[in-house]
Amino acid sequence: MNPSRTLRACALATALAAALVSLGAQARTPNDQLVIGVSMNNLLSLDPAGATGNDVVEIACNVYDYLVELDPLQTTTVKPGLAESWAIAPDGRRITFTLRQGAKFHSGNPVTAEDAAWSLQRVLKLNLALASPWKSYGFTAQNVVGLVRATDARTLVIDLPVATDPKMVLYTLGTSVSAVVLDRKTVLANEKNGDLGAAWLTTHAAGSGPFKLDEWRAKEVLFMSRFDGHWRGPAKLRRVVMRHMTESQSLRLMLGRGDIDIATGMSVPDIEAMKATPDTEVHSVNRGTLYYVAVSAKDPKFADKRVRAAVLRHLVDYDGINKTVMPYYGVYHQRPVPLGLPATLPEPGYKLDVAGARKLLAEAGYADGFKTTIRVVAESPFTNIATNLQATLAQAGIVASILPGTGNQVYGAMRERNFEIIVGRGGGGAEPHPHSSLRALVYNPDNSDQARLTNFQGWRTSFADPKVNQLIEGALLLTDPAKQTAAYQEVQRRFDSEVPAIQPISQMVDTVVMRKDVRDYVGHPSVTTRLRDVHKQR
Amino acid sequence: MSTASVPVPPAPTASGQTARRLRHAGQRLATVLLTLLGLLFLTFVIGRVMPLDPVLSIVGPDADRSTYEQVRQQLGLDRPLAVQFGYYLRDLSHGDLGKALLTGHPVRDDLARVLPATVELATLAILIGTLVGVPLGVYAATRRGRLGDHVVRLISLFGHSTPIFWFGMMGLLVFYAWLGWAGGGGRIDLAYDGLVQSRTGLLLVDSAMAGEWEVFQSALRFIALPAGILGLHAVAYISRMTRSFMLAQLSQEYILTARVKGLSETAVVWRHAFRNILVQLLTIVALAYGGLLEGAVLIETVFGWPGFGQYLTSSLLLGDMNAVMGSVLVVGIVFVALNLLSDALYQVFDPRTRS
Repeated sequence: MNPSRTLRACALATALAAALVSLGAQARTPNDQLVIGVSMNNLLSLDPAGATGNDVVEIACNVYDYLVELDPLQTTTVKPGLAESWAIAPDGRRITFTLRQGAKFHSGNPVTAEDAAWSLQRVLKLNLALASPWKSYGFTAQNVVGLVRATDARTLVIDLPVATDPKMVLYTLGTSVSAVVLDRKTVLANEKNGDLGAAWLTTHAAGSGPFKLDEWRAKEVLFMSRFDGHWRGPAKLRRVVMRHMTESQSLRLMLGRGDIDIATGMSVPDIEAMKATPDTEVHSVNRGTLYYVAVSAKDPKFADKRVRAAVLRHLVDYDGINKTVMPYYGVYHQRPVPLGLPATLPEPGYKLDVAGARKLLAEAGYADGFKTTIRVVAESPFTNIATNLQATLAQAGIVASILPGTGNQVYGAMRERNFEIIVGRGGGGAEPHPHSSLRALVYNPDNSDQARLTNFQGWRTSFADPKVNQLIEGALLLTDPAKQTAAYQEVQRRFDSEVPAIQPISQMVDTVVMRKDVRDYVGHPSVTTRLRDVHKQR
Repeated sequence: MSTASVPVPPAPTASGQTARRLRHAGQRLATVLLTLLGLLFLTFVIGRVMPLDPVLSIVGPDADRSTYEQVRQQLGLDRPLAVQFGYYLRDLSHGDLGKALLTGHPVRDDLARVLPATVELATLAILIGTLVGVPLGVYAATRRGRLGDHVVRLISLFGHSTPIFWFGMMGLLVFYAWLGWAGGGGRIDLAYDGLVQSRTGLLLVDSAMAGEWEVFQSALRFIALPAGILGLHAVAYISRMTRSFMLAQLSQEYILTARVKGLSETAVVWRHAFRNILVQLLTIVALAYGGLLEGAVLIETVFGWPGFGQYLTSSLLLGDMNAVMGSVLVVGIVFVALNLLSDALYQVFDPRTRS
């Protein structure tokens, strides 16, 4: 065969292949199916006792039922779920739930109060990641069996071991994956070596929610199908598919062609582009989590309140960052208590003030500035905030080098209290209660290294103010809403005057882009976005 | 006077030859096993030195101390390094690669799932690369310095120096978004997902075996673009190498002799010169194939292709050592196997290497 003939043969083969490939017209997603393009990188487990991150919440709230739910538009409103009613004892130490009749698990087993009690007990017995909120209310693996119990098939009693605000407990029940009700019989049938079904639940589900989990192939795809026997009646969609897509451009193209209905985690330029197209719309939801700049008060420089004030209050370009970097990621907010709660004070209005910072630095003995490092998760918008901060610090003579890393590396260093400056994101967030954020970001009851209170970001920044701790503890126990609100405002004022080592700069916003024919999708600030009423109108 | 007997080497007997071959094979096997063991040890050490904490990946940044310690203990990370490695080797000898944190499944099952996806992609790509790249290379060599040569070299340069990621995006934009010829992300249209029982894990093969031609067509639509782009990358490399091998041959004296003898140019090029570069070509194609298997990471990300590249990257970022070591072992085995295969093929095609 001569070379040019070979070439012609190749060209012909390519043309044939292309023709074959072009067969079969591209169809839009079916009417009764919802296809969601999402990064499932953080989805490592589906076990309600141990699965961290937001991804699992979005699945759990559709596969499982919660005792109570929080209204997506008015998050402080608690609505019935599996529990049709509940009562709080006058002393605030007991919550009694009455479960609805006729609810069934996907297996056909009836949902009972024993299942609900066992599910919560399981979380504490396993002591995995999601036991944290319950441990903070004083529950332990030992006391939980006595405190969380079913008095009959429909009555669940939760006794609180230490005085707390029962609202906070209700909010946790409405938002945390750990609060879902498991089908005890099915789980125990799959138990291995006394693990309470932990290994099995990592990749399976045993719930009563409006959707059944059909299959989850990690980092690939997750299928859910409608559970026709749900007590609310069948969901409108027949099937929900979550597809692992990490590349924003690919998501944009697939959304444009209608191969996916909803895309999450898209980059800002792609969101902007989709906003301009007629078939798609952009929805943003405020989350309770906060973007912050934190310093380590263990570092001699930042132990000085004046240096902290210079760096955290005067050398962050709040306006610039929120206007240029944060659109679709966050909204301007400088308080440790998230926006939208009655207790949240107006913004203190910190802004870039290099002269003010220089003055404070000079008073602290750093007239020529110093060298430091900024640890940051190597992704948007964190890196953009860090480079912005690097530039403004430089204006006051502070030479900061940026150390980018994975979330694991950055927060790992923070847990070891081994950092100088960090750009991060955190906070309680899910529960619409000031205590949730204050406990996560500010509270630090024991500042010693040995305490290793790694779950408190206050401890990680090595900053402790006994007065702030005391105010936070006191406010939680106030039963009069007006007094409680005033107490939380007092906490914020104290926070302001003491210049703690952690400074919020923006409140997290989550943006999804969806096809316009998707109806009744209401993103939930606590990530418990329920798909049971979602449908398509074409 | 007796003449001193001159030691004569014993004539090679059939059994002696077999013994030698067996010894040779045994040495070979020992080298392979030692190589793989060394690879595992190195990966293990690097993995433990890396500032990544698998416990933190599982429990999240907000877990308290007791949970953290408990999970650390469950994973066996509180034991000395040597003990951990010993346990790993012990389990490995039973064919157990441990459990992946990434998926909650045994690493062995995960690899059995993700490897076929990548094998299918890389095989199609290498087929395209070879079937297009070799003729192009030969063509360029025969047209040295002329227009055809320049065009092929330009294609090769373009294919080799353009980031594969960019090709992926452009390919999606043109063939998927504008023309609608190719599938988007994933291996198959969701409507067909799971319709065909997995036998080999290769969707094209499985669907053809089941006679499900619609599924086959959908799988083909989805694989065509990523495989084509990876293939183009391979074309660039293979055509460049083929060209230079051919040029070396075409300047040899035996070619001149053949031409002087009046053989047709086709016969000179294909029957004489090309036959002599076959062995070299096999080696580079084998290496390119190994590279594709391991290096399809970017294409897999762009196309949401649930393959080995994505699996290895995710497990690395998570510090999921069982998954990383299992994957590295597979890469090691693939390269060793490809090396052995190309050695064996050398022996078939090149008699000089048989001794």
